[in-house]
Amino acid sequence: MDHKIYILIVEDELEVMDALVKDLENFETFFPVETANDTTEAEKVIDYILDHGHRIGLILCDHVLPGKNGVDLLIDLQKNENTAKSKKVLVTGQAGHEDTILAINKADLDHYVAKPWTEEELQDVVRDQLTAYVIENEKNLLAYMQILDAEKLSEAMRKHKMTDH
Amino acid sequence: MKIISKDHVSILIGIIGFFIPFFLSIPGLSEAGHVALSIFIIAAVFWMLEPVPIYATSIMVILLQVFFLSKQGLLFPEITAEYSPNAYTDFIGTLANPIIILFLGGFVLADAAVKFDLDKNLTRILLKPFGSKPKFIILGLMVVTGLLSAFMSNTATTAMMMTVILPIIAKTEASDPLRIGIALSIPFAANIGGIATPIGTPPNAVVIGALSNQGIDIAFTEWMVLAGPLVIIVLFVTWLVLLWMFKPETDSIPMDLKGKFQKNSSAILVYVVFGATVLLWVTESLHGVGSSIIALIPVTVLALTGILDKDGIRQLPWEVLWLVAGGISLGISMESTGLAEWIITNIEWSIFSPVFMIIIFSLVAIVMSNFLSNTVSATLLIPLAVSLATSGVAGEGFSLVLISLVIGVSASLAMMLPISTPPNAIAISTGTLKTRHMTRAGFVIGIFGLLMVTLYALFYWPLILN
Repeated sequence: MDHKIYILIVEDELEVMDALVKDLENFETFFPVETANDTTEAEKVIDYILDHGHRIGLILCDHVLPGKNGVDLLIDLQKNENTAKSKKVLVTGQAGHEDTILAINKADLDHYVAKPWTEEELQDVVRDQLTAYVIENEKNLLAYMQILDAEKLSEAMRKHKMTDH
Repeated sequence: MKIISKDHVSILIGIIGFFIPFFLSIPGLSEAGHVALSIFIIAAVFWMLEPVPIYATSIMVILLQVFFLSKQGLLFPEITAEYSPNAYTDFIGTLANPIIILFLGGFVLADAAVKFDLDKNLTRILLKPFGSKPKFIILGLMVVTGLLSAFMSNTATTAMMMTVILPIIAKTEASDPLRIGIALSIPFAANIGGIATPIGTPPNAVVIGALSNQGIDIAFTEWMVLAGPLVIIVLFVTWLVLLWMFKPETDSIPMDLKGKFQKNSSAILVYVVFGATVLLWVTESLHGVGSSIIALIPVTVLALTGILDKDGIRQLPWEVLWLVAGGISLGISMESTGLAEWIITNIEWSIFSPVFMIIIFSLVAIVMSNFLSNTVSATLLIPLAVSLATSGVAGEGFSLVLISLVIGVSASLAMMLPISTPPNAIAISTGTLKTRHMTRAGFVIGIFGLLMVTLYALFYWPLILN
């Protein structure tokens, strides 16, 4: 594989960030994890990753952040063709009714994780979202069979008309 | 900074190889034979080192032959004593070779089956009688996989069966060897099952295409009668080998495959077309209508009814058809330029017994296709076998059909490595087993397969062919 698929976490509280990173340790060998404390930093990290020919598979984003809020970031990313396909998940306890609706309608939000989460719940969400991402965007699904949902990947391969050679 | 990659080197080797025969004058080889040798070298290098996809090499082969070896090409406009050039239509015509049309029919049918979940539902029904004991479940999985892969691509069958076995594996203790046994049973059964019918897997097409160029037509039924019994015994022994190597610890496997046959009118039409086509194929010897002709029926019916729509047509695996066509095309000029005959006359074959030659061809095919594409292995070996048989240098008892079958069947018996076949790659990717498990089991099956091919070629096939 010449490009890597990144997981980006945007979260301003250090403890929460540490917990998220720790819960995603299993995925790191396949999907490098990058972190940002606010949306400005997040945009820089995203540019850096894309400039190096890699892709953002999944963004886990807090809502209440210093400066621009999380939902606005996700909406911007949805408008950008390089990140439109990235899976977008809000991890928050504080997004109000209206912001959430905005995120669903304008940012095509893929999932909402309410704080506090359990490790298992978070891993399930990440596995599902990354599985959907690679099925939609990657050619070689075999590389992800061990870490993601192998059953769904197999089903996608069945539908992809795989051939002998 | 641009770094020279392995692929660049491979391409360079191929191109240099292509030009070498232009500067040589090989005694006993016609001028056209030199050109054919050039094309053979670049094709072999590209197919083996794969700097470009193997189907791209096949497409290139057809172009090179049209340009350099056809009557309409640059080098041989006239018939000479040494070489009467093929019309360019001979080379491009391989794309409409009956075996290609047969494969097209197979692809269309398999796609429709997948679209309407016929493959999954058949699996569900067929697995039921095998109960819940691990060893019979594995047998059931292998029988169903083998059966489906005889009519669908081995790879698509494996992908589908993975959705069946992954939940089983997930529920099994991590230390239970059953996991490895099950994970290996699917790709192995798919590889073996592909041998059973002409449309099972592309190497079969290469063999049948090469034989049809020699004026020998193998009927669908005839192939099944020749290959079927071998498939059954190899499948059965593979089952025993897997049970012996990876003895299941648990004594019951929960199987709850859910699903329902779709009952809309399109789905029912697909079932009928699928059933009718397969029935007509396997009864070819009764009604005498060629399988390629019958293959047009599903293509037509599914197109007329819109089940095979524009997108469906675009998404057919055309690259496999190009791959096989390029292989058949290469065989044509290796024959007509005398290249293949020249290659084989360099060896004093008469000192070898027929048994020895069967073993050698089978062994070489198995070893090659462990590392290369099965289709490519068959493509490179078949022209040699054809020349051996038609030139008569191999002496009595060396039948063209027989040795072609040996190569075709053996090319599908290679399953020692993850790269041996796409089904193997799928199994390894699950992380359930290590390469060494696959190599150990694949080695035993390879050796047994070699033995069986030899025995069938000596005793059973001559019985059917004569």
